[in-house]
Amino acid sequence: MAPTFSIKRSGRHQAADAPAWAHSLLAAFRAEDIHHLVFLPDTVMGRLLALAEAQEDDFFTLVNVHREEEAVGILTGLFLGGQRGAMLIQSSGLGNTLNALGSLAMAYRIPFPLLVSLRGELGEFNPAQLHMGRAVPGCLDALTIQHVTLSSEDDVPTIVEGALKTCFTAEEPFGILLSAQLTGWKPEN
Amino acid sequence: MQRLEATRVAVDLAGDAPIIGAVGNSTFDLVPFDRPRNFYMWNSMGMASSIALGLALARPDLRVIVLDGDGSILMNLSSLATERACGVTNLVHVIWDNGGWEITGGQPAGSPFGVNLETVARGCGFLKTATVDDLDAFHDVFAEAMADDQPWAIVGRVEPGDSPYRPSKNCIALRDRFKASLGHR
Repeated sequence: MAPTFSIKRSGRHQAADAPAWAHSLLAAFRAEDIHHLVFLPDTVMGRLLALAEAQEDDFFTLVNVHREEEAVGILTGLFLGGQRGAMLIQSSGLGNTLNALGSLAMAYRIPFPLLVSLRGELGEFNPAQLHMGRAVPGCLDALTIQHVTLSSEDDVPTIVEGALKTCFTAEEPFGILLSAQLTGWKPEN
Repeated sequence: MQRLEATRVAVDLAGDAPIIGAVGNSTFDLVPFDRPRNFYMWNSMGMASSIALGLALARPDLRVIVLDGDGSILMNLSSLATERACGVTNLVHVIWDNGGWEITGGQPAGSPFGVNLETVARGCGFLKTATVDDLDAFHDVFAEAMADDQPWAIVGRVEPGDSPYRPSKNCIALRDRFKASLGHR
């Protein structure tokens, strides 16, 4: 079968289901010329990705990786080539990125927003999500990566705008953590 | 073939194409052929292929070369699938296969145990691939890959041996020089 590169990357998610925070995040990305969304999906990010993919001007390019560490390298290459991107992952995936964050993004000063949807926080049903989710702020602190947590829809535009500005001034990754208070949690028990 | 001599051939044929050197000997043997469009890694083992992919996405007007190591790509095999999933056509992915982790004492990995990296690349969707073990063959296939408009994966079988060369240890200066050479501030 011939490869198909025009295939929809956001799966079954629909742009119409995207919550207000996803609209605010993408608007902030647009304002900072962040074109590339480098992601390994989770359910929360799925709605954001569907909205990004549905933009009529094709402003956003979705780049799906198969292990989160790859995203650090890809964002480095994009930066070296004069383009900005963002990383979108789940808390469990942050553990897969740590050496690359420390020895590439921090050592070579590569700026990008690092969006992490938090599992293991509010409303968690899966015991195997608890510990890595809990470890996210500590991992970022240990690497001296600045981060903020988004909990309420009203705060998203201001905090994200400010985070992006600082990120590109510092020329370092900047963690933007999405609390389940903002994104909701799965109904599963 | 010797990695140093094969690297000389790659740089000679690269023209103005940027080259990403993987951590360790792949970067070290690129140093004697220094040019602003060489990017040198000091750590983040495995990331060379992903850096090259990001650059290939950002700069579709250039052919982007990565001089990877067998140990490095074995640490990031999923990047081969990602390269194809992105649909980039401007990537020339060279993998130096010396049969192991040279810099840490020559511990065997990959090919001594039957791992065939060209087959892995083909399985990940690369249609243009080659494995070569002498300099003339490498010259010819690398020249073909550079002139092509398709992505390539080339496994170069090289002799074991450490490189004596080292790049600057100022990572930010390495970053800035490379970025500026591509016309970006």
